[in-house]
Amino acid sequence: MNKVFVTGMGAFSSLGNDVGSMFAGLREGRTGVRAFPEWRQYNGLYSHLGAPAPAYDVMKIPRTVRRAMSRMSEMASLAAFEALAQAGLAPGAALNSPRTLIIMGSTSGSPFTLETYFRKLFEKHGPEGQLSTSFFKVMNHSVAANVAAAIEFNGALLSPASACSTSTQSLILGWELIKAGLYDRVIAGGADELHYMSAAIFDIVQAASRTYNDRPEIASRPFDKKRDGLVVSEGAGVLILESEKIMSARGATPLAEIRGGTYQCDGTHMTQSSAETMMTVMREGLTRSGLKPEEIDYVNAHATATTHGDGEEARAISGVFGSDMAVSSLKGHLGHSLAACGALEAIACVEMIKSSVLIPTRNLDEVAPECEGVRHLKVNTPARVRNILSNNFAFGGMNTCLLISEV
Amino acid sequence: MTVSSNIIEQVNALMKTGFEIPAEKLVPTATLVGDLGLDSLDAVDMLVYIEETLNVKVEGERLANVKTLQDVYVLAQESLSNESLQPQAPLHLEAQGSQ
Repeated sequence: MNKVFVTGMGAFSSLGNDVGSMFAGLREGRTGVRAFPEWRQYNGLYSHLGAPAPAYDVMKIPRTVRRAMSRMSEMASLAAFEALAQAGLAPGAALNSPRTLIIMGSTSGSPFTLETYFRKLFEKHGPEGQLSTSFFKVMNHSVAANVAAAIEFNGALLSPASACSTSTQSLILGWELIKAGLYDRVIAGGADELHYMSAAIFDIVQAASRTYNDRPEIASRPFDKKRDGLVVSEGAGVLILESEKIMSARGATPLAEIRGGTYQCDGTHMTQSSAETMMTVMREGLTRSGLKPEEIDYVNAHATATTHGDGEEARAISGVFGSDMAVSSLKGHLGHSLAACGALEAIACVEMIKSSVLIPTRNLDEVAPECEGVRHLKVNTPARVRNILSNNFAFGGMNTCLLISEV
Repeated sequence: MTVSSNIIEQVNALMKTGFEIPAEKLVPTATLVGDLGLDSLDAVDMLVYIEETLNVKVEGERLANVKTLQDVYVLAQESLSNESLQPQAPLHLEAQGSQ
């Protein structure tokens, strides 16, 4: 079986629009969350918080490509450029191979475009006045197709969509396909754009933060006693995965090894994953990676600061690894970037391995009783990090975990 | 057909903002495909922009004969002229509401 390595990474996040900026923000303990008082105009929306990516320049993407892109595809394309550059790969013909694959997705098509599309549809009582490119922004594989166009890629393309576990699924699927010898290189990731309906999706089921609207910097507080829900954000994460053979042949530098992972549906409840099914996915991920629980140095939790999910995840991690496992969540810094979060957190994990420091959970002042049972990190923690398990869970009972190792 | 300077200005403005075409390229003889780099998707959007900017209805079939920027000016001018000759739009919303 082939080993699979990360050779390039690109990030767009609320803490910065490249990997260096994002990880610097994490190390400095900053947050990208801010108040959105303009969302008060929306009836029935009580969470007025979000974590947008900083402004960016899209002019490096040609207009005829960019015209089919919403914000999520723009961010994903720019992240892909960064990842390819770090891997020493140029966009264009040299990328094209029947053994290269793009796997990218998003929670849905562009919510901004969906809103304008249907508003006009209802106003006009039909499709009159719709732009030719609108559909390309709302189709389910918009991010993958647009990234392919941006990097001038002709080849295999897949677009998984499993909400907040989308990009983790992309990475795991990439690992599986390279390991099986079906592909040599996978450009994997995910993206989502911030829109008030993204907050509303969680607000409707009382899973978004509401009580910190006037204190955004402390709103997203995973595992904390005073947590009251998640804060939506946006971004894109792209990783270049390569087989050991092709990486060595071209003299590329590995940043980390993808050791394994798994994605499983718990099939019981749309919003409330249980500790038992979380334990199942982590144990299966370990089995597929060939790693034992005692070989894991740190668990990067999905923990979004919801009252239910954080407690279940802490119980699950404790059940698999015991009470001494180092655990943190990055949602206090980054907010919840939905389909991008798995890739962004994988990138952060690679940076933690490289820099030998574990990033703590921001805003974790007092661990909630139901979240005890693991070693919560509250400060930057120097450590040799050999192996990391990173969790991501999503609506629909989608449970995923990814195993990342040092090289 | 004489095209008003106001129409020319508005069409040029939408060509600049909608398709990022530099002002110096916006000359009447410029061909949409060869000189301005537009394609069939852009043509559809160009009609939408003209309709929204001038508040007119443009017959999509007429696009087949539009080759140059001057043709676009004429199309816009004629659409505006035709609009002014049309009777008031039927009370579509009221009809819907009575069903």
